[in-house]
Parts: sequence; C-alpha cells; structure tokens
Amino acid sequence: MRIEDVELGDELPEERPDVSLETVRRFVKAAEMDFPRFTDHEAARAEGLPGAVIPGIMSQGQLAAMIHRWAPGCSILSLDTIFRTSMIVGTPVVCRGAVTDIDDDGIVEIDVTIISETSGATGVLGTARVRLT
Amino acid sequence: MILDLHTHSVRSDDGRAKVANYCQWIKKKDLPLDGVVLTEHRQFDAESDYRELEDQYGLLILKASEVETDYGHVLVFGVNEDMVHAFDFARIDNPLPEVLAAAKSCGGFAVPCHPGRRNVGLFSHYEERGPVDDVEVVEIYNGGSIPGEDERSRQEADRYGYRGIGGSDSHIVSRIGLCATEFADDIATMDDLVSALRTGRCEARTWRT
Repeated sequence: MRIEDVELGDELPEERPDVSLETVRRFVKAAEMDFPRFTDHEAARAEGLPGAVIPGIMSQGQLAAMIHRWAPGCSILSLDTIFRTSMIVGTPVVCRGAVTDIDDDGIVEIDVTIISETSGATGVLGTARVRLT
Repeated sequence: MILDLHTHSVRSDDGRAKVANYCQWIKKKDLPLDGVVLTEHRQFDAESDYRELEDQYGLLILKASEVETDYGHVLVFGVNEDMVHAFDFARIDNPLPEVLAAAKSCGGFAVPCHPGRRNVGLFSHYEERGPVDDVEVVEIYNGGSIPGEDERSRQEADRYGYRGIGGSDSHIVSRIGLCATEFADDIATMDDLVSALRTGRCEARTWRT
C-alpha cells in the first residue's frame, strides 16, 4: 500500500480474529502474562469480571495485524487505544479501521475499533498513526 | 438544519478525534450535518476557537459539556461563566436536580444523555430512586448505544413525556454523525440552540443501521 493509493475515508478490510480460549491461552503463555482472569471464566468471575477477558495487548496486536495486512511493510508509529468494556474470551469480535487523515509526510491516521459481535458493544477504540511506503 | 449534539474531541480524556478531522470527514463522507456541538467530559473548553474551521468547512461548531450526576451523564448547553461557578463540572456525583436548576437559572439547558444505558443512564437510576422533576428532554438516539439501549430510552421517554434529541457521542472521527438532531429553524449560535431545545422545535435522527 502506497500513500498515493490511500484516500480519506478508506476502510480497512474487516478482520475477525480468533479469540477462543485455546488461542488466548497460547497468547498469554507466549506473552508471559498467564493469569486466570484471561484463561478461566470462573476465576475471572470471582474477580468481579463478567468472564475471562481478552488481554488488552492481544487486542492491540489484533489491530496491528489488521493494519499490517492492509499495508504490508508499513510502520505503525503509534497505536493509542481506549478500553471501554471487557471483551470476553470466546465471544466473536470484529476489528475495523478507517483512514481519517493523511498528511504530507506519508503518515495516515486510522480510527480502529473492536466490536463484540454478540452484544454490539465497542470494546476497544482508538487511533493509529501509520507511515506508509 | 441538522446538528450532532454530542461529540468529543481530544480535549476529552478519552477522546481521540481532532476537530479538524471531524470537519474533513463530514465533508468527505457528505454527511447530512450542518454542524457539531463539542461536549467534552467534565469540563467546559472555554479556550478553543474553531471559527477558522467553521469558515473553512462551512460548518457550525458550538461548545457545551457532558457532566456527571447522581442520575447519570448529562449534556449541558449554553455554558457560561455563571454556570461553571454554579456547580463543579469535574465532580462525578453532582445532584441532578442542582444541575438542571443551575443550567436553567444561568440561561442554559440540561439534557440527560444515553438514558437507557446501565449505570450512567437516567432511567437505570429511575428504577432505584424514581423520577426527577424538571427533566424535559433526553437523548433518545446515541451513537454509542448497544442494541436495546436506545429502544429503552425511547420507551421511557414516551412514558415520562420527555422530548428527544440525538447525538453520536463520537470519540473517534469515523463515528461522527451516526445520530443527530434536526431543527425546524436555523441555528447560528448557542442561544439559538438553547431556545430550540426549550421550545421543542427539533427532532432526533439516527442513521445507525
């Protein structure tokens, strides 16, 4: 993806990442953050959560992956996210992005969201600044 | 004339949208908006001057606030020097009757927003504590609502005889204009807006699918 090919308002292809318990378990083990609140629904409820929650950095990784698949070779300069509601492990989510600004230096700003396909709630929203080639 | 009455910019702690980017998005997407009202959380942004953007994009940009009360979140329009001293905008437990009264006595108008939402919505508090006098208008369409919340807002608003407005509650650029309010008359100033809210010459609109 080159800067010349991007227009304000362009939408990134949606992605539906695997947020199954098995995948989250593999993620937290690799990330060395293997806590029950991410991998055990009962333990998470005992902590007052609605169920095992998808780790925030896993959500950020899913958003970054979406951006890199849209623009292979790009550099993500920042990914600024707000976590509004807990995203529950095993509940399908959709990642979306839209180009909201393009500057003269080849940097685009992208709105990013992760939405629960079950409740319709936006769990994560934010913006990414991305340098294209 | 259609205005999005509930938006947040980078001036809000959880806002990530620059006002200039809202403007260029509205134009690029050809959204049916004639303007926006910035309702930053727990503060009134007296400093920002958006007149250049208004001229550049042909949009009306007004400033209000979203404050927090013991009955949930409330949009306050017509904020002035008197109002910012009448109650503490930064508090998260302002008594709703005091906010309604202060807004009115200072020449403004207060509107509980996303009233159908749990915890931060007016009607979930009504369940526990009963209704509050002097509420006239609530936000019946909110761009951040999950399925069921706006339906509840409309049903309860009908039940209590409240009029409705709409706003996107956008915190990022691409959410602007999901919901808005259509006014029967031209709105050029915050005084015009407050007057229209008082008289009810407006209607909530939604474009959410």
